[in-house]
Parts: sequence; C-alpha cells; structure tokens
Amino acid sequence: MSDLKVQNLRRTYGPVVALADMTFDVAEGEFFCLLGPSSSGKTTTLRAIAGLEELDKGQVHFAGQDVTRAPVQGRGMSMIFQTFALYPHLSVEANLAHPLRRAGVSASEARKRVNEVAELLRVTHTLKRKPSTLSGGEQQRVAIGRAIVQRPKLLLLDEPLTNLDAKLRHDMRAEFKRLHRELGMTMILATPDQLEALTMGERVGVMRDGKVVAIGKPRDLYQTPGDTYVAQMIGSPPINFLHAAGSGDNTVDLPFLGLPVAAPGVSPGQPVTLGLRPHDIGLAGGGPARAAKFTARIHLTEPLGDVTVIDVAVKDAAMKMVLREEVAAKYNVGDEIEIGFDPGDLHIFDQSTGARLGVGAMQ
Amino acid sequence: MARRNREIGKAGWGYTAITSVVGFIYFFPVFWIILTAFKTRTDALATPPKLFFTPTLDNFTSVFYRASITTGTSQATDMGLYFFNSIFIAGTSVGLALIVGTLAAYAFSRYPLRGNDTYLFIILTTRMMPPIVVIIPIFLMFRLSGLAGSYWGIILLYTAFNIPFSVWLVKSFFDELNPEIEDAARMDGATEGRVFFRFCIPQILAGLSATFVFGLILTWNEFLFALLLTGVETRTVPVAMARTLGGEVGVDYGLLAAIVTLFLIPIFFVTFLLQNQLLRGVTFGTVKK
Repeated sequence: MSDLKVQNLRRTYGPVVALADMTFDVAEGEFFCLLGPSSSGKTTTLRAIAGLEELDKGQVHFAGQDVTRAPVQGRGMSMIFQTFALYPHLSVEANLAHPLRRAGVSASEARKRVNEVAELLRVTHTLKRKPSTLSGGEQQRVAIGRAIVQRPKLLLLDEPLTNLDAKLRHDMRAEFKRLHRELGMTMILATPDQLEALTMGERVGVMRDGKVVAIGKPRDLYQTPGDTYVAQMIGSPPINFLHAAGSGDNTVDLPFLGLPVAAPGVSPGQPVTLGLRPHDIGLAGGGPARAAKFTARIHLTEPLGDVTVIDVAVKDAAMKMVLREEVAAKYNVGDEIEIGFDPGDLHIFDQSTGARLGVGAMQ
Repeated sequence: MARRNREIGKAGWGYTAITSVVGFIYFFPVFWIILTAFKTRTDALATPPKLFFTPTLDNFTSVFYRASITTGTSQATDMGLYFFNSIFIAGTSVGLALIVGTLAAYAFSRYPLRGNDTYLFIILTTRMMPPIVVIIPIFLMFRLSGLAGSYWGIILLYTAFNIPFSVWLVKSFFDELNPEIEDAARMDGATEGRVFFRFCIPQILAGLSATFVFGLILTWNEFLFALLLTGVETRTVPVAMARTLGGEVGVDYGLLAAIVTLFLIPIFFVTFLLQNQLLRGVTFGTVKK
C-alpha cells in the first residue's frame, strides 16, 4: 500500500504564503496532476512530500506511515526536477548508478540495472559522457532514468517538460504515460500547462494560492467546472465568459440573443457569469442542437492548420470560437457570421462568488 | 568550453597586439629583475643599463653560500630555511583558512541564520582597516602568549587574516550552485556529509583553486607581520630579503634579484599548475551556463 495523504500543509516564507492549506489524497499507482499558475505552490507541495521543505503545519502520510518529520533519505520517493539537476561532475552512468549505490545495491547489479534503464530511455550511447555534453532531451531522459532506476514507490515530477521545446514536449508526454503504464508506480506531476494535466493525469488537482480548489477527472473538470477559476484554467483556447443578469425566475437574458435562456437556480436580477467553450460554438446551420443563434462580426483569425480560432464580437461581447480550417477559410476578417450554440453547453456561474449554478437550457 | 575558446580566438590581431604591449609593460620589471639576477655587480650597476652581458650564476650561489666578511671563507647562509619557512607558513595557513572558510561559507550559503548579512559584514570588517592599525595589540598578545617567533603563531595569524577572504569568495561559489542538485542527491539517499563532500565540493574545485592561489599570493608576499612576529628560526623570505639590504657592502642588487627570482618560482609553479582551474574560477558565474 503506497497511497499518499497530504493534509492541511502550510508553509510560509516570512510574509509570503507558499502553501495555505493543501489537502489531497493520491491512490496507489495513480497518475495525479497538480495544475496551477506559477507560484501557486506546486513545487513547494512536491518538495514537502519529498521532505525537502520544512512545514509550518500539516502532515504527509505515505504508505500508511506519518513521514512528515522523516528524513529525506529513504522515503522511497524520487523526483524529477525542473532543472533536471543532473550531477555535472559525474558521467551519465554514475548519475544513474548513484541512487542504487546509495541503496546498497552491488556494483554488478547496479551496472545491470543502469543498462536496463538506459536501454528503456534510449540513452545507452551517452553513458560515458558528462551531462553537459547532452542535448536537452537526453538530459531529460537521464533525469527520468535516475529517478526510476531505484524503482521508487512514488515519483514526483516538477514541471519536467518546461525546459524542452514543443516537439520534444509532445514526445515526452507520451513517454511519461508509457512509463506510468509499464512501471505502475504512483506519479505526481506539477505543471502550469492544462494540456499536460489533461493528457497525462488520471485525476487533476487545480491549485490556487497554495490550496487545492478542485479535484477531479480531467473530463469532469472540463465538462462541469465547479467555478469560474477552474473553468478558465482548463481548456484551450480558454472558455468565453459573458456577463448577464437573471431576467426572471430561472431565466437569463443575453443581450445579443433574441430569446431568454433557461437557467435553473438564477433569481431575477442576479448577476451571473456565463461560460461558453470555444468548441461549443459553431455555424448556425449546424443542426437543431444549436438553438441559440446570433450574428457576429469576425475580428481576428488564428489558423492553426487543422482548425482556426476565430475571435468574434457581438454587441459589446467578444468571444473565441473554433472552426475546422476548410470551413473557416470561407470567411474573412470583418465578415458577418451566423453562429449558434446549444444552451445546454452554457455553464452558469454566480458572478460574485464564481460558483457553478448549473447549465442552461432552451426556454 | 570549446565555444569559449573559439570566442577568445576570434579577438583578432589588433586586440592581440594591444594585449601583448600591455602584457609586456606589466612583465618588464619582473623581466629586468630576472635579468639582473644573472649579472655581475658591475653589469648590474652599469649606466646605461646593459641588455646584453655575459650571464653568471654567482648571485644564485651566494644566496646559499657567502664569503664571511671576517674569515673570508665560504659559509652556508640560512636562506634554505627561510624558503622552507615561507612555503610551510604560507601553504599551511592558506590551506587552513580555505578549509575553515569553505565550511563556514557552506553554512552561510545553505543554512542562513537570522541576521546572516550582519555576520558576513562583521567578518569583512576585519579586512577593512590597514593591518598596521592592529599591529601593536597583536604584537603584545603574541609576546604575552609566547606565540611570537613560533611557527604556530604566524600560521594562526595568517589563517585568521585569510579566513574572511575565503568565506566571502567561496560563499559566492556555493551560491552559484543549483540547490536542486543537492536535493536530488539527498533523495537518492546521500547523507548531508556526502552531499557536501561528493556533490558540492567537486562542483566548485575551480573556485577553491582560485581562492587558494589568491590567498597564497597575499600571504607569500606579506612583510609587516612577518617582520615583527617571526624569529630567527621562523623568518620568511621577504624579511630575510630586507635584511640583505644595507650593511657593510651596501645594496647587493645582484644578490637581491637572485633571491627575488627564486622567490617567484614556487608561486609561479602553483599558479601554473592550477591555471586552467584558475581561469574557470575567476570567471565562475560571469558566463551563463
């Protein structure tokens, strides 16, 4: 049993609160992601789990034991650091062998395991070299190798893809998923990139100001975000927010729509924020589901190859929408476009608290 | 490393020529002293100065064996002992200061105390006044404690004088290191001692070499404290050199030049030995890795 329980962690640096109140559980063998903007406390959380950070408050339980005050050494965890942190004065081989030698593995056994890991991560050709002579991708793979060579029960990943270029990042995302499947160890990834969190994490914890504000499966967080913060953290391009007010009991009036939208739980005059994903907006002719139709003017287009992100404006509202490239190619900047959405895709949040109230419906 | 070499090579002939001229101006006095060491007394004092002459090793011989004024027979001087003293005293004290300074620097860098900067500042204040200000109290302390004239006395003093410099310089090298490397080593199971000796020290060897050489040069050339606090047995070369001035025969420039030339050799040797490390040490942190 190697599940991890993180309870009420608090860490301050003078007046700066790095961790306010971190609580979450990770099950054995799970791939868990911590998603949050920079300085939301992701790294501090990982370091606290590893024992590298002194805590003002809170407990870390790992594999059924309270390890809050346990020494860093011998926790059965490893970490991949944002800077890779390879030992610059040692060869790749010695870098990979270090955790094993410290764990008391014999030299011959260590050599065997180092070769296995090098093979797995395709760095065999670099074994005799110093880390500084390696490319970014190779350094990254050596860092992974050093972290997994001793078969830790828990692997902590601190923004491991931040220092890589886009192509490599894509490859490494797949690589981490493969490693997780093959090695079956518990993994916690800290990342500011929602794409990484959604593609890699089995569950995602969304962080804000040193706290976990939402935990869930990526799909659930995307489809039913609990508040406006979670809604805007997840999804690319980001969700559109529109401001409106309740027009009557359980209805909302959008200024650019001819008809009111049913909005359960909204009282008359209550200010609400409506969230609409760019992917949920389409051409008005696209089937009966897009019942809420309106005309907007194209402001800007960003062709991405397969799809095009289009910025449209209607009355005083601006939104982004996504169209397939061949459809988008028919329109120019300045054109009027007939578009619509399914009111069922409308996320309704309270404007003052940001809390989710429900989804819209056709009146 | 390769990239840096190429950039140095790119400098071009103009810069190379200017550097050579400046370098020659700096080196000329040293060159003249070395030349003088091979001259006879007449050549050394010739006007205009002689650039071409018949070299002689007499001056070097008389560093170690000199005709006695009274008996006229050749007699061994104590210069051998004084050279040993200089090497022993400077080497030991700079080495000790480096060890103490490195440990302190690591603590200052990694385990900052409340008011860390104040402590660092206080350490530096000991180097703010000219040494001559403290010479009287120190002289009295040495007389009272019986340290005057002993090896350990002068070594202790030089160590104390080198520690602030070592702490500050070595701390800057530790500050430059990526602390995640140490964390990685800890997570791999390395103890604190191992983290320090096997992971931090190897990364700053260049810096340590530079610190050692700078300290060595300062200590090697120190005259004031050596003059007052060493005895007949523990006299260092700078003091012995000064004592050859004056006397019955006036200034023997050839002899003096020969001592200086010999005096340059050990420091030159150490610097040469460590020059690769030294170059990396002084540029540590100035080049983005």
